[in-house]
Amino acid sequence: MQRALRAGLSYHDFDVHAVGSGEEAIREAASWRPDVILLDLGLPGMDGFATLKALRPATRGAVIVVSVMPDEKDKVRALDAGADDYVVKPFGTEELVARIRAVLRRQADVTAGEPIIRSGDLAIDIGRRTVTVGGKSVRLTPTEYELLRFLALHAGKPVTHTTLLRRVWGDYAIGDTYNTRYVVAQIRKKLGDDPANPRYIVNEPGVGYRLEG
Amino acid sequence: MRRLQPYAIALLGVIGITSVIGLITSRASVQGMSALYLLLVLWLATRWGRWPAVVGSVAAFLLYDFFFVPPVGTLSVRGTAELIELVVLLAVALVTSQLASSLRRTRATSETLARESRALYELATEALRSSEVAVALAMLCGRATELTCIDRFALVAVDSGQPSALAGDALSAAELKQAGWSHENGRSVGIAVRDGAVTVMQTHHGAAEPAYLPLASGVAVMGIDGQVAGRDELRMLAALIGLADLLLDRRRAALESERARGLESSDRLKTAILSSLSHELKSPIASLRTGLTALTAPQAGLKADQRDLLVDLDRQATRLDRMVGDLLALSRLEAGLELDREAQSFADLVAGATRQLRTELAGHQLAVDLPDDLPLVAVDEVQAGRVLANLLENAHEWAPPNGVIEVGAAPRSGLLEAWVENEGPPIPTPDLDHVFDTFWTRRARGSGLGLAICKRVVEAHGGTIRAENRRRGPRFTFTFPLAPVPVVPSS
Repeated sequence: MQRALRAGLSYHDFDVHAVGSGEEAIREAASWRPDVILLDLGLPGMDGFATLKALRPATRGAVIVVSVMPDEKDKVRALDAGADDYVVKPFGTEELVARIRAVLRRQADVTAGEPIIRSGDLAIDIGRRTVTVGGKSVRLTPTEYELLRFLALHAGKPVTHTTLLRRVWGDYAIGDTYNTRYVVAQIRKKLGDDPANPRYIVNEPGVGYRLEG
Repeated sequence: MRRLQPYAIALLGVIGITSVIGLITSRASVQGMSALYLLLVLWLATRWGRWPAVVGSVAAFLLYDFFFVPPVGTLSVRGTAELIELVVLLAVALVTSQLASSLRRTRATSETLARESRALYELATEALRSSEVAVALAMLCGRATELTCIDRFALVAVDSGQPSALAGDALSAAELKQAGWSHENGRSVGIAVRDGAVTVMQTHHGAAEPAYLPLASGVAVMGIDGQVAGRDELRMLAALIGLADLLLDRRRAALESERARGLESSDRLKTAILSSLSHELKSPIASLRTGLTALTAPQAGLKADQRDLLVDLDRQATRLDRMVGDLLALSRLEAGLELDREAQSFADLVAGATRQLRTELAGHQLAVDLPDDLPLVAVDEVQAGRVLANLLENAHEWAPPNGVIEVGAAPRSGLLEAWVENEGPPIPTPDLDHVFDTFWTRRARGSGLGLAICKRVVEAHGGTIRAENRRRGPRFTFTFPLAPVPVVPSS
């Protein structure tokens, strides 16, 4: 798996360092300073989640979790522990490369400190609190705007229901996904997005929502 | 002999006091000495009850009259003052004896009550403290048989319709059966309990037939003699039955929680096996797909026909992966694992499924027509998503190239009714009943799992699924429950 992955990624012009355990990964992340770390949760030795928690403060690189996960709750746990994205095995090299490019692009956006976040023809101006689609202004309620803003600040990254409920509503609302589902449906309606084939806010099954980056 | 003792004491007491009064009045003239008798009468009434006190009063009246009221030595009375003194003596003696004896009765009753409640309290604490409910029940049965009106007492549990003797005296098979009947029908035999008071219905003495009283989680069976049963005993019996009811309930709660713990641990085991199995099966497929797709990159430097071969191999690996996923999903459903139900948007489920199958569906026209205000459904997102994915995959396999695959939904009588339709050939009528059978397939390459999984997931959510031939082609219609709307509407 590792050899195939290394070959596949190098064909797409990535420099790849591969290590065999969580401890090595933490050392390598500190010395080699990668832009993106692929972390398999089924590591031998140190537990994948423990490695993830130890990696997070040690690197500015994005962490993409790779795993054979029969349980959706593990995805939520990985995101809550600081992962930027996850890919479920088995996957094709193309799909993985697309994910890596997306997190790299997001890193560049964050570094540039862009106050306007775009997703296709949707533009969210954080400074002015305005939202436009194709240049036309869209009126959102405060809750709708807060939710969209939070997704925009993490554009491209899946945001869990729990995080959305906590940051937009407050701790008391955690566990009631009716809120997020309902408000996202309202936002999509106002943005003119087709919920069955969304362009902006994408549902992440068992996890939450992601604003397409 | 014993019954006469109080009267003897009363007479002796009166004689004693008469002598004392005689002794005092022979030395000095003292008025109202008859009051001394009252002390005795009062004591008699409190100690022995009314009748010894009355006897004492009358004796005192006669002796006082005879010895001290002029003319002394006769029972006749001369003056009005003396007459009044005598009548007052008798009246006061009778009234005090009445008061004192009723006081005595009240005290006796409250002592009985206190004794009973102390006994019950001790039994209840002991019973509730002992971790084995059986021990507590045996203690209770023992206490019940101590009552004189009860010659046998037994408690019967009825678990899943089967009566079994729990504690107390042995019961015959016929009696057990009768107890089971009594519990099943909620009918008591030979005894009635209303507002915490017991009434015995049968009167024949030493009856061979016991009385049956159904309780919340069992039956109390008792040989009870209605003629011997006093009010105190029946009160105690009612209290004991109440306690038995509580204990039987506790026993059932303990059994149920034990059963739940067993189920939970077997659930955990199943989950662990399934997750390790999926890991074992999926890891090699993952390596295969990573390797195959890596080599299809132009930079790998393979020739076009070699690349095509790899692309085809990768497609096979993907199919294998999906089949493993289906098998695992099916065994998960078979294992009866809990659904993770939450409010979900049906459109999100459709979007997830179409995204998952975008390569397959690229060769068809997907027509999704959902009303804007479609209510949310209460489903397990992953499982419900699988229903849509499997139905779409099925549609993709049967629809002609570039044919229309239609997805629709509408609320109907408290449910969400949804359908997936394709323009493929109609399903032969005899097959319509079999399309959801496990491993049943109409094609050589089909696994026969996809639609079987759909049926199980839909049914696990309390919904239904059916296949029918419409004018354009086969349609699969299924229902999902709607999500309850929260009391406080969001924003």
